[in-house]
Amino acid sequence: MSRKLTVVFLAMLILVGAMSLKTVVVTHGDGSIVMANSGGPVPPTPWKNSGGPVPPTPWKNSGGPVPPTPWK
Amino acid sequence: MPGLVINILDLLTALLQASIVVVSIAKGYSRRYLTINLYLAASTIVLFSRYYILSQHGLLSAEYIYFYYYSDALLTIGLYFTLMGLYATVFEEMKAAQYLRVFTILLLIGTAAFTCAVVQQSGPRMITRYVVEMSQNLYFVGVVLTYVLWGAILKLRETRTRVIQLVLSLGVYFSAFAGNYALRNLYPQMHVVWEFVPPVLGCLLPLSWARAFWSVSEEARLAPSRLMAVPR
Repeated sequence: MSRKLTVVFLAMLILVGAMSLKTVVVTHGDGSIVMANSGGPVPPTPWKNSGGPVPPTPWKNSGGPVPPTPWK
Repeated sequence: MPGLVINILDLLTALLQASIVVVSIAKGYSRRYLTINLYLAASTIVLFSRYYILSQHGLLSAEYIYFYYYSDALLTIGLYFTLMGLYATVFEEMKAAQYLRVFTILLLIGTAAFTCAVVQQSGPRMITRYVVEMSQNLYFVGVVLTYVLWGAILKLRETRTRVIQLVLSLGVYFSAFAGNYALRNLYPQMHVVWEFVPPVLGCLLPLSWARAFWSVSEEARLAPSRLMAVPR
């Protein structure tokens, strides 16, 4: 039983160590990804398809002064 | 011009990887180092497939982007099992295969669960983010595991030269990628240099492994005292 628990403990310890290392390395990063397998030109990150100005939030249809809250 | 150099390095990498697999099969030790051979074969197939999809659809196409990141995640899982295969080789005399299997699966499930917990916050494109994050997290797990394995090799006084060279090559490979990533963020103005590092490293790992398989015999032994400096 204690051997099995040791295995679980070691696995969790490795996981914590790895995630701490990742945090240290990536904290000041620019959001790019570490690619460590095979070659080929690196494409842009899938959720950063291209540049350009950020569009307005869909539920803010247009400008104008914000009306008062209805329940006040 | 930089693109041409990177393409040549990629081609060299693919040739080296394929030749290691072919020589392993020819010499009959493909079963002993099965995970390494499977990883190298998969990596070669992925490399050629990436270039094929790139030529058909282009760098910014959804096909290439998704194939690139999804295949990278699968290869990272392959690299993880390669590393665990090396663990099995180092610990084979301790008859700890069962515990090692439990450890491998538990750590993989733990990493997947942690990634899932992190990615749940991200909203859209969750599966893609999950795949990329999983690949990243498993890569850092690999870095830590390699150092732990190196510690075990020193502690157990492992003397098989080939195993030592395989593990050290992997350690240098993992560490250099992490170092390159950190330096790239520290000195982004030197992006031309950092751009070349991954393909060079990608070529050096199979080169080092090729040397381990071709020049070092299975019976070759290394004195443990030569592995680290012992204080007098």
